[in-house]
Amino acid sequence: MQPIVRMERITKDYRGVPAVRAVDFDLRAGEIHALLGENGAGKSTLTKMLAGAVQPSGGRILLEGAEVSFATPNAALEAGVAMVFQETSLVPSMTVAQNLYLGSEKFLNRLRGTYISAQQFLQSLNFAVDPLAMVETLGAAKRQMVEIARAVHHNARVIIFDEPTASLTPEEKRHFFALLQRLKARGVAIVFISHALEEALQIADRITILRDGERVAQGPTADFDRDKIIAAMVGRTLSNALYTQRDASTLRKAGRKILSVQDISQGRMVRNTSFSVFQGQITGVFGLIGSGRTETFKIVAGVTKRDFLRGGIVELDDRPVRYLTPAAAVADGIVYVTEDRKTEGFFDTMSVAENLFGGLLAAPRHKSMLVRMSEMRSLAADWSARLNIRAINDNARVVELSGGNQQKVVIGKGLVQKPRLVIFDEPTRGVDVAAIAEIHKIINDLADAGLAVVVISSYLPEVLNLSDRILVCRQGRIVEELSPVEASEEKIMYAAVH
Amino acid sequence: MILDPILDLFRGKAITIPPLDGAFSANAALDEADVHAMLPAPDNLVWHDGHLTCSSGAAVLWVAGAKSHKVAQFPAEITAMAVSPKGHLAVATDDGHLTEGGIPVPLPGDITCVTALAYGVDGALWLANGSAHHPASGWVVDLMGKGASGSVWRRAPGGGFAREVGGLAWPNGLLPDASGVTISESWRHRLIRCEGGRVTPVLSHLPGYPARLSPAPDGAWLTLFAPRNRLIEFVLQDTHYRRDMMAEVPRDFWIAPALTSGQSFLEPLQCGGIRTMGIHKAWSPSRSYGLVVRLNKEFAPMASLHSRANGRRHGVTSAIEVDGRVYIAAKGGGVILTVAGGR
Repeated sequence: MQPIVRMERITKDYRGVPAVRAVDFDLRAGEIHALLGENGAGKSTLTKMLAGAVQPSGGRILLEGAEVSFATPNAALEAGVAMVFQETSLVPSMTVAQNLYLGSEKFLNRLRGTYISAQQFLQSLNFAVDPLAMVETLGAAKRQMVEIARAVHHNARVIIFDEPTASLTPEEKRHFFALLQRLKARGVAIVFISHALEEALQIADRITILRDGERVAQGPTADFDRDKIIAAMVGRTLSNALYTQRDASTLRKAGRKILSVQDISQGRMVRNTSFSVFQGQITGVFGLIGSGRTETFKIVAGVTKRDFLRGGIVELDDRPVRYLTPAAAVADGIVYVTEDRKTEGFFDTMSVAENLFGGLLAAPRHKSMLVRMSEMRSLAADWSARLNIRAINDNARVVELSGGNQQKVVIGKGLVQKPRLVIFDEPTRGVDVAAIAEIHKIINDLADAGLAVVVISSYLPEVLNLSDRILVCRQGRIVEELSPVEASEEKIMYAAVH
Repeated sequence: MILDPILDLFRGKAITIPPLDGAFSANAALDEADVHAMLPAPDNLVWHDGHLTCSSGAAVLWVAGAKSHKVAQFPAEITAMAVSPKGHLAVATDDGHLTEGGIPVPLPGDITCVTALAYGVDGALWLANGSAHHPASGWVVDLMGKGASGSVWRRAPGGGFAREVGGLAWPNGLLPDASGVTISESWRHRLIRCEGGRVTPVLSHLPGYPARLSPAPDGAWLTLFAPRNRLIEFVLQDTHYRRDMMAEVPRDFWIAPALTSGQSFLEPLQCGGIRTMGIHKAWSPSRSYGLVVRLNKEFAPMASLHSRANGRRHGVTSAIEVDGRVYIAAKGGGVILTVAGGR
C-alpha cells in the first residue's frame, strides 16, 4: 500500500544536539500508528516536523508521493495534516465554539449558529463540553477534547495525537478510542503517541519505537508485547514490579496524624469532604476528572480557598489552619507538586539550578536577602544528583528537558523546601516508564523517611502500587477508603463512579 | 491569620463529622466475626456467676453458644445491668426501677431513665440517668429534642444516691476506677471524665454516638450504637423541620440514627445513594452501623471493628472481654458476636 506520508532520513538538531537522527517513518491511510519511546526519545519532535511546528535540519517529507515543506502548522493543516498537541493550543479567552471555528470563520458570523453547530459537532463526538464555556475555565481533559474536536473538524487526512489520553478518564478514553476507530474507517491516518503502552497495544495497527532520536523498531502490533516494547524503548529490561499488587507485609503503618480535614467545601467542586493524612505513609487518592481531588488538596496547600461560610476545618498537627497563600502552607511544611507542570510547575526559560533555587527562595525559612550563586550551584548539583535530573548541560533551560526530567525539577523545587507533607498531583503524567520508576522511588523514599505523602493519580495501577491506603473521591467528596491489599481496579472504579 | 478569630464569627460554625480513618479505618470485622448466639435485641452484656449474661427485651439470659437459659424476667424492658463485687446482679428497667440481687432498690425521683450501671472497685454503684424527661427507650426523642438533662449518680457503699454531675447529653456508658468515672456522653459524641465533681473531656469528636464502656486488660472497649451522618446533622440544625417531623412522621421513619435500618421502604435513606446496580454500597450514608473501638489506658482509640452500611450487625450497645475473648452484642443485628481479644 502506498503510504500517505513518508519521512526519509529526517533529522533535527537543537544547538548542535540531535533530537531526531535520520529517522525513516511512514504512515498509511486508514491506520493507527503508535509512536512510542521514552521522554526525550524524539517522538514529539518527529511529529512536530510533520505538522509544520518544527523545521527539519535534514531529510525530506513526502505527502502522497510529493515532497512537502510546511513552514507553519497552518500550512500543514491546509494540506490535511493536523496535530493535537500535548500542550493545547487553544485561545483561553475565547469560547469553545470560537476555538473550534478559529481560522475558518466566514466574513459575517452568526454567533448563535456557530454555537448550535459546535454543540451538534461536539455531541457527534460524544464530548460533553459546553460550546459556550470559555476555554480558560475548562480543565485539562476538556481542553484536550476541544483540541481533538478541532482537528477532526478540519477534516484532516493525517491527525497526530500527542499523549491524547493522559488527562482523560477511563470512560472518556473509551469514547476517544471509538472516535479513533471511526476516523480510521474514514481513511484518516492517525499517529498516536502515548506512554500508556497497553493503549498502544490495544488500538494501534503498527508500532514505531524511538530511542535517543533514532528508530529502533517498527512493525505490526501483533509482533510486539509490553516487555518487547519496554526493552526497545529503554534498551534494557525493566522490572515488572512497577505496577504490582501490594501485599500486607509491604504496607507502611500509619504514623502520627499530621493533617485532619473535616467537611471542607468549595463551591460545587468540594463538598463536605473529610479525611486524614498520616506520617510515614503514602495516601493514594483516586478520582475521575472533576471529582474534586485536585481542588481539595489545593485548599490544603493554600493554592485556593475554601468557602468563607461553613467551609469546614483543616487541622495541621491538631491546630486549625486557613492558608491565604501557598507560601503560608510552605512555611508550615506543606508542599503541593502540581499536575500541570508546564503552567504551574516551573519557569520554563530558566535553568534547572535557577528553578530549584527558586523553590528554596519561596520557602519563608530562607531568610537571606542575597542570592549567592555558589549556594545555588551547590543546591542544584545536590538535588540534580539526588533526583537524577539529566540535562544536556548545566545551563540547560527546563523547557529543553524531557517530561520526566521536568517533572523531577518540579518535585525538586518542592523538596528543597524541606516539607513534612508532600502532595503529588499526577506525578507521572506524561512521563516515560523509566522516569516513572525513578519518580516512584523518590516518592517511596520520602514515605520511608517519615514524611506524610499524598499521591493523587488517575492511573489505577499507580494508585494500587504506590499507596499504603487508597482514598476514593467522587463528586467532591472522599467516599471510600480501601487498603491496596483488598482493593482492585474494579472496586476502586465502582466507588469512584457510584 | 490574625483576623481569623473575628472572621470566624461570620463564617458560621461548621458541624464536622470526623472521617473513619486511622484507628477508625473501616473494615468488615464485625460481619466476619464468629456468631456466639442469636437473640432478639441482645443489649447489655455482663459476666455473672461464671456465665456470659445478656439482657434481651425484658429477660435476663445466660448465654452459652447456641444455648441460652433465661434466669430472670422483668415487667419492662431491661435498660442496664451490672455485677457487684459481691456477685449480685443489678438490673434497671425502662419503667424506672432498679433491682439488686432481685431486691428492689429505691431511687431518687430524678432517676427515671437508667442507661448504664457500673460498680467501682470500692463497691460504689455508679448510675447513668440518660434524661430527666424521657425513658431509656425514648432515646431518639431525646436526641432529636436536643436533650441535655442527663446525670450521673453514685451510691457509696452503705449510703444513698448522690448526683455527681448533671447537664449531660445522654450519658450512656460508665467505666469507674479508683478516683472517678469515665462517662460516654452520646449526643455530644465524646467521653468525659468525672473526678471529684470536675468534668474533663478525654475523647472528643467521635464519628458516632457512644454507648457502653467496659474494661479491657490494656484499656477499654467502647461501643458506638449508631453513626453520625450529614443528613442527620442537617436535620438537627433545622428546628422547624425537626419539630414537624417529630409531630407528623412515625418514629421508626424519622431522619434519625437507628439501631438497624433497611427494613422498610418507608425509611428516609434509600435509592441510588444506598444501592447501585444491585450492590449495597459499604460507604453509603446509613442510619445504622456497627462499631466497637479498642481504647488504650489514656482512652485513645487503637483499633476498631466495623459492620458497615452494607452489613447487618448494627446497633452495637455492649462489648465485654473475658479470658481473652471479646463478646459483642449487636442489638440491631440480633446477634452476640465473639472475637479474639486485642484483635
